[in-house]
Amino acid sequence: MLAAEAGGENRFEVDAATAAEALRQLPVASLLFDETGELRRLINVFVDGADIRGTNGLDEPLQADSEVRVVGAIAGG
Amino acid sequence: MGVLIPVGTKKGLFLLRSDDDRAKWEVEGPLLPGWAVYHAMVDPRDGVLYAATNNFLYGATVHRSADQGKNWERAEQIGLPEESELKLNATWHVEPGLASEPDTLWVGGDPGVLFRSVDRGVTWELNRGLFEHPTRERWQPGAGGMCCHSIQLVDGTMYAAISAAGAFRSEDGGESWTPINKDVAADFMEETYPEVGQCVHKLLVHPKDPQRLWQQNHCGVYRSDDRGDNWQRLDGNGLPSGFGFALALDPDDPEVAYVIPEESQELHWTAEGRLGVYRTGDGGASWELTANGLPDRAWAAILREGFAYDGGGLYFGTQSGSVWTAPRGGGRWTEAARDLPPILSVEAAAWQS
Repeated sequence: MLAAEAGGENRFEVDAATAAEALRQLPVASLLFDETGELRRLINVFVDGADIRGTNGLDEPLQADSEVRVVGAIAGG
Repeated sequence: MGVLIPVGTKKGLFLLRSDDDRAKWEVEGPLLPGWAVYHAMVDPRDGVLYAATNNFLYGATVHRSADQGKNWERAEQIGLPEESELKLNATWHVEPGLASEPDTLWVGGDPGVLFRSVDRGVTWELNRGLFEHPTRERWQPGAGGMCCHSIQLVDGTMYAAISAAGAFRSEDGGESWTPINKDVAADFMEETYPEVGQCVHKLLVHPKDPQRLWQQNHCGVYRSDDRGDNWQRLDGNGLPSGFGFALALDPDDPEVAYVIPEESQELHWTAEGRLGVYRTGDGGASWELTANGLPDRAWAAILREGFAYDGGGLYFGTQSGSVWTAPRGGGRWTEAARDLPPILSVEAAAWQS
């Protein structure tokens, strides 16, 4: 769904110092953040493979070659 | 010209198309896959398709397509002010503005909110008159949330209905809102006839008689002959139940209305275990079953946005994924589509075949 909302693209290169800066540059930023600027509850973000909830949250610093992955929560079964 | 039925479902939007005879239907979709389309409509002023779209991961928004669903744009900005400490839970209904304001549209949502766009759906501004209404603290959410689901603009007057806050009327383009719930029951409240708090399920104004309003309520079917100042309850006289969600009118005859009663507030399936549309031709004084072609053993559910009408026919969609159509007046019903995802909304529009 996110890729469809981003014009079919699922990979973007951005210049950003933190995870939040990177995500806010995406064309789907309004789907990831609510109107108060909070990351939506069921959106998981990984920086270089680590869940940002276990590190610095949206302030997690990025390196020049960092990879930020956005994964919607999966539940059910 | 042909007929286009945008069908909103829990998993996307489907477009049903037919020639004017409404005999064969082509099904296109799913469009907007993954989005729960609470309501979709074709703006009769310019043919643009709008959808009130919701997703449990990505929130509530509005999509628009100027090419019948091939390409979509999402609203750039819609939400509630941070200081309110409320968040937009869902978008429920999109309504075109007046013909004299071609760039204006309205969207109703949860928690009991209304937005206006003056740029054809790109950005949406919160309606403060309803958001800051002095009675808001007495509103409460219905089972589907506190949804603003009915928006009507007729003859210079605007109406909004919210479950469970009641119906409201504005004479100044939405700046201020007057509750119009006199004699409308709220059996679930300590005070049966409060000023606000009624659980309106759907409200429609007759397009050619701006005095005549209809509402299917949690607590009965009602008609008003004076723009909502007074209401008359109409669910005796042939209706098997006063409970239901769906409501449709006739484009010319204000005495005609259609409802699809459900068993009860606990049992959300079609009354008496059959799929039946009830028609009145005398302003609700009497109702008769019009079920020719509909299954007589069925426990279906038709939601508040699931019933539509135009100059040629009636259209409704079930939560079990079927779309039924009948000629205007309620002749034989035929199944235009089946096995769709649970249907949330049905509208009707003209299209160039």
